[in-house]
Amino acid sequence: MDNIQLSNVVKEYHLGKVTVPALKNVSLSIDRGEFTVIAGPSGSGKTTLLNLIGCVDVASSGDVVVGGSNTAQLTERELTDLRLHKIGFIFQSFNLIPVLNVYDNVEFPLLLMKDLSKEERRSRVMHFIEKVGLQDHMKHRPNELSGGQRQRVAIARALVTKPRIVLADEPTANLDSVTGQSIIDLMKEINRSEQTTFLFSTHDDNVIRQANRIIKLRDGVIVAES
Amino acid sequence: MRQFFVIAFRNLTSHSGRSLVLGGAIALVTTLVVVMLALTAGIRNRMIENATALSTGHLNVGGFLKISQSSAAPVINRASKLRTLIAETVPEATLVVERVRAYGKIISDENSIMVPMSGIDMAKEETLLGGLALAERGDYIEGDLASDAKPELPGRMMDLAQQGSIVMFASQAKKLKVRVGDTVTISMPTYRNIYNTKDLRVAAILKNLGLISSFTTFINHLDAREVYDLDPDTTGVFQIYLKSIDQVSAVDDRLRKGLSAASYALMEKDANPFWMKFERVAGESWSGQKLDVTDWQDETSFLKWILDIFNALTVALTATLMFIVTVGLVNNMWMSIRERTPEIGTMRALGLQRRGVLVMFLIESCLLAVMSVGAGILIGSGIVGLLNLIDVQISSEAFVMFLMSNSLWLDLQASDLLITFTTLSVLLILGAFIPAYRASKMKPITAINHVN
Ligand SMILES: Nc1ncnc2c1ncn2[C@@H]1O[C@H](COP(=O)(O)OP(=O)(O)OP(=O)(O)O)[C@@H](O)[C@H]1O
Ligand SMILES: [Mg+2]
Repeated sequence: MDNIQLSNVVKEYHLGKVTVPALKNVSLSIDRGEFTVIAGPSGSGKTTLLNLIGCVDVASSGDVVVGGSNTAQLTERELTDLRLHKIGFIFQSFNLIPVLNVYDNVEFPLLLMKDLSKEERRSRVMHFIEKVGLQDHMKHRPNELSGGQRQRVAIARALVTKPRIVLADEPTANLDSVTGQSIIDLMKEINRSEQTTFLFSTHDDNVIRQANRIIKLRDGVIVAES
Repeated sequence: MRQFFVIAFRNLTSHSGRSLVLGGAIALVTTLVVVMLALTAGIRNRMIENATALSTGHLNVGGFLKISQSSAAPVINRASKLRTLIAETVPEATLVVERVRAYGKIISDENSIMVPMSGIDMAKEETLLGGLALAERGDYIEGDLASDAKPELPGRMMDLAQQGSIVMFASQAKKLKVRVGDTVTISMPTYRNIYNTKDLRVAAILKNLGLISSFTTFINHLDAREVYDLDPDTTGVFQIYLKSIDQVSAVDDRLRKGLSAASYALMEKDANPFWMKFERVAGESWSGQKLDVTDWQDETSFLKWILDIFNALTVALTATLMFIVTVGLVNNMWMSIRERTPEIGTMRALGLQRRGVLVMFLIESCLLAVMSVGAGILIGSGIVGLLNLIDVQISSEAFVMFLMSNSLWLDLQASDLLITFTTLSVLLILGAFIPAYRASKMKPITAINHVN
């Protein structure tokens, strides 16, 4: 029940009268603890695939099963709950809340989980802030941080809810290669120590090489897996 | 929830320029509304105050006596019996005064005016009339005061206690071209269709109190009785004063029932002062005695249009201003939602429910609205207090007529403040609801990808 399961997933976008097929009959499953990269040229459907797994979008047909629930059968409210409890997001442009400092940004999803005590929240936030090495920047607002630091905040925020899977759409695209590498290293380290499943997309061959599983997309079809 | 407040507050302060302009506009509008309402309340209260001193009780029992079909005299027969009945029926009255009602001409060497006159027993009315301000010479003497050689006697309201005196307002004295000490003639049509006249000395000239002063003069009640040829057990009106005007309608009811039960004939309710009823009553086919119960509003109905104008102005202005700031706030919300669309999308992706987005934006507009409206209420109250403190004198005749006072007086009423605060806040928050609702309906994925 821990895994993600996609079977015969089709996703089409409708632009006026034109139908754009973004994913054509994709089936795949991801197990706990994997560190998987989705690779493929621009427009191949990487973002679309991550959005479906991340429950921010629903498939046109086929089944997307996350944490045992078929997302097509869930209401908006249940999908939101699923995202909160089972999925962590890391975005290409970090997407932190600008008016909140590092600590508050990391704490934000925990405040949405109503059943956590104050102490529990605090210890989790501290744990992950230390994990990403930002304990000296807790009071900083996002605009006072470098790109790499911001992405670290985003990683802490994605992990703090202890999700089943962390999805990252081109997490290093806005970072220079050294910083990008340190972010990949951090994710790998967390993948090992916390047994968190990572699924991320990238263009970067250097990054692709470091994954322990690679899914290659082209024109909405999986063309290779290794 | 606390974090929503923090986010909302910080978003407001991070766009401090925009928030300040909008908040300032809301505060300004609130201030204007507060001052307008205080002005209207001030005028209304001044009017009640003046009217209840000059020409009406909170409730009045007056009436007409018709000796013949076509006559109408503003007189009540067998007053002593009615006096007892009123005292029993309205035990809570703080004061009951009797006046003889008269309506006729005042004639001077230069001019004449038709005006209602109240026959007063000054010994019993010091509390009501003792405080009226005397006019200054310039209020009623035209032309150059300095070169005016004629000696001027100081007027005294209390001189009305002596027979043969009349007290009028400056506007009337000006028209009649009379001064204190001059003699005028009053002339009344009595019920025998004969005009009785009497010469009276001007005992005092009072400072104008707006429109109402054009419709009020005072004479000694004995003179009034003499002119109308009344026997001692008659009177014109019982003016009944209560602790608060809120009691009026209940006492009115009780009084009417009590009078009917004591088999007095009552006139139909007619919201006009007694001196506007002569013609109608004279045209009616009954004869004998009928009583007419009126309240202060009926007796001052000819002033009502002034209040109506002020109320209409206040409502129109208030509504327009409120509409404008609501549009401003809604627009501001649209802008801030457009700017923060990717942020909304992020929060939704992280697990914020739709309702959370709605709540967050409502809190933001709530904070802005409540703080600005609150500031406006404080500033408005401050301005009202300051204006009252400065005691702005009004010199323009026209304004005195409208404002019913010689100085600007504004009444700040807690209920007005409360209503302003709630109406504006609710309106603004309702206005903010639509954009906030639309924001909450956005799909997270389209929101995240939104480019400004
Ligand atoms: N909202 C949309 N409306 C219409 N078409 C879309 C939409 N989003 C994506 N597409 C189309 O779907 C296909 C897959 O797009 P997707 O964004 O998944 O590609 P990608 O692999 O993430 O590309 P990139 O590497 O450039 O990010 C493309 O042809 C794209 O034009
Ligand atoms: Mg993409």
